[in-house]
Amino acid sequence: MKKFQFLTLIILSAGIASAQDNSFLLYSFKGNVTVVENKVETKAKVGKTINKAASIKVASGSAVTLICNEAAMFTLTKAGNYPLSQFGDSCHISNNSVSANYVKYVWAQMTNSSGAPGSNRKAYMNTVGAVSRSINNIWIDPRLDTLNYSGGEFPLSWKSYADAKDFEFLLYNVSDISQPIYKTIVSKLKISVPSVAEKMKLGNTYFWTASVKGEENDELKVFNYVTTETFTKVLNNLKSQLSTFEAPAEQAYRIAFMLEDAHYLAEAYQYYTKAASLDSANVLYRSTLMSFKKDYEIK
Amino acid sequence: MKKPLHKHIGHQARKVHGRVTKYLLERDTMFATVWVFLFIIILGAIPLNLGVINPIKLGLKDFDSNDLSYSKLGKAEHTDIDTNIVIINIGHADREGIAYIIEKTATLEPKVMALDVVFDEARDPSKDSLLRETFKKNKNLVVAVKYQLDSSEKMIVTRNYFKDDAHQYGYVNFPNEDKETTRYFFPLKKTHDTSFTFFSSAILKFYDTVAYKKLIKKGDSKVMINYSRHTNQYLVINADDLLMNNVDSSAIKGKIALLAYVNTNPDDIEDKKFTPMNEKYAGKSHPDMNGIVIHANIISMALENNYIKKLPLWGNMLIAIFVCWLHMSFFVHYYLESHIWFHLVAKIAQVASAIFFMWLGIYLFDKYRLKVDMKMSLVVIVLAVDVIYFYEAWAVWMHKKFNFTTVFKPHHH
Repeated sequence: MKKFQFLTLIILSAGIASAQDNSFLLYSFKGNVTVVENKVETKAKVGKTINKAASIKVASGSAVTLICNEAAMFTLTKAGNYPLSQFGDSCHISNNSVSANYVKYVWAQMTNSSGAPGSNRKAYMNTVGAVSRSINNIWIDPRLDTLNYSGGEFPLSWKSYADAKDFEFLLYNVSDISQPIYKTIVSKLKISVPSVAEKMKLGNTYFWTASVKGEENDELKVFNYVTTETFTKVLNNLKSQLSTFEAPAEQAYRIAFMLEDAHYLAEAYQYYTKAASLDSANVLYRSTLMSFKKDYEIK
Repeated sequence: MKKPLHKHIGHQARKVHGRVTKYLLERDTMFATVWVFLFIIILGAIPLNLGVINPIKLGLKDFDSNDLSYSKLGKAEHTDIDTNIVIINIGHADREGIAYIIEKTATLEPKVMALDVVFDEARDPSKDSLLRETFKKNKNLVVAVKYQLDSSEKMIVTRNYFKDDAHQYGYVNFPNEDKETTRYFFPLKKTHDTSFTFFSSAILKFYDTVAYKKLIKKGDSKVMINYSRHTNQYLVINADDLLMNNVDSSAIKGKIALLAYVNTNPDDIEDKKFTPMNEKYAGKSHPDMNGIVIHANIISMALENNYIKKLPLWGNMLIAIFVCWLHMSFFVHYYLESHIWFHLVAKIAQVASAIFFMWLGIYLFDKYRLKVDMKMSLVVIVLAVDVIYFYEAWAVWMHKKFNFTTVFKPHHH
């Protein structure tokens, strides 16, 4: 019994010791980030090694990327004061062997079926866009091109490959792309469509783009601000396409899927949400809604 | 009474074992194995390059099954960051800007600095002078050149206007075509009267003489690169952060500072090369890694003594012969005793063997850094089935003509 207790003690001590060893490397940061060590606050510096007793202060609009134990990378983007001792889980590295992954990969490939479009939304929707020649620091998802919008909350989002704080959003009339009819500076990588729609007239088509502040992006995306009547016609058409019985959740999911395919993304979001709330036990509805929100940066 | 499970499994295992080994030592199995290799030699000796009309062969020209381990199996995803190396992204700085970046880096006292940029000709005189002075001043700076043959077929180093002002230089050529995967490098290039050092070798000479000597010992021969890290597994510092004092001096002091253009934007392919770490391991894709990160991987490999060992050709051949022999024995068994199942079993065995031997190659590469070429083994498994038909006809003909003893009977099926 004593031997068993001794062994348990050694195992526990080893576990605690390994948990306490976490050290963090400040890999990169942008904005106002400070490190508090031994109650002394200093400006963050790239390449600094910080122990787990320290904490990191991230100001609004700033971000910091850390590497735990020289292997696990994670990023803090929300403003706040973060004691590093709370990031034990972020230091965890999965130890899946290459052999195990090989078995999983071969099995997945051999048993992979194309499936119904509705059960694999991403594979089905991955048919949009064309190649782009220009290289700039902003990447706009091709699925956001030719967006049809009649109402509802939805963001226009983009990705930045530059370490920039501010971005310029520009809206053009299709008849004149020399001067934007609306431009604004935003600090986030997205802008709310309703706030932009205020500058538009119903039934008209516009171009929009986003760029790092001070840079140009000539990749214009089409935005159709459609009337409620136009959308109602589309919706009624979709509803009438299936004559057999559908449960309300099933119908909402089908309509959401077809609206997304027709580039009515704000409206599709409402219907995906509706499907998930009508049948909250359905894993497909929930996972598709999560995936949709992730794809279009909906928080 | 029903058999217990372990006895049932044991019985099945013995059955499979019997199917593989029953004909293992038969003369026919051995001769059929020899015929497989004769076929390979005969097909290989046809002086026509039929690959030109074979899209599969063209598509897989640059394919290596071990690349799968990076793109799909998570190899090197969790390798520790290499703290010996710091990459400083010079962005699109001009010559004056580069001079400032070098000077600023030098103030943080790295053990060695290396600039992976070639300067083809003179440009703005004032900026050129600044860079020239920087090169002269920093004795621990290695600059990039390229080797090529001049008009008299003599090897020279070129493509750096400031080469003579630098204290150290190394060539940055890789022995592959532009669109091919970068897998190898020459630690040095020798001619009868001169020798040139590779960029990474020149850096190691400053940083770790033991690792340098070990690398240089490999001489003017192709060395395979053991890729262990992606770009984000090195500390990459933007020049702006460096110039604005946003960098902790401990990150650079006493370390290797590699200065070059780096970007992680997949749409920006400037100075990027194809590597085995590319997300797409076959077919068309974008180049994925900046040249300086490839050099960083080479330096990491040398410092960690993680060289890849290649199994020699005779070793690969021995494996292929053994694999062919086992499969032939198994196929002959079904061919003679359960012919109705022969094709079905043969196809299943081919697929199962291909999966197994591909795993074996990947396992040895991942676990022991041993590169075994399994291509020949896979080819013999495919050919073995077809060769049996030829061998049967040959053995029967030999039996009639020379009374050759064979397990194959005339018109047995």
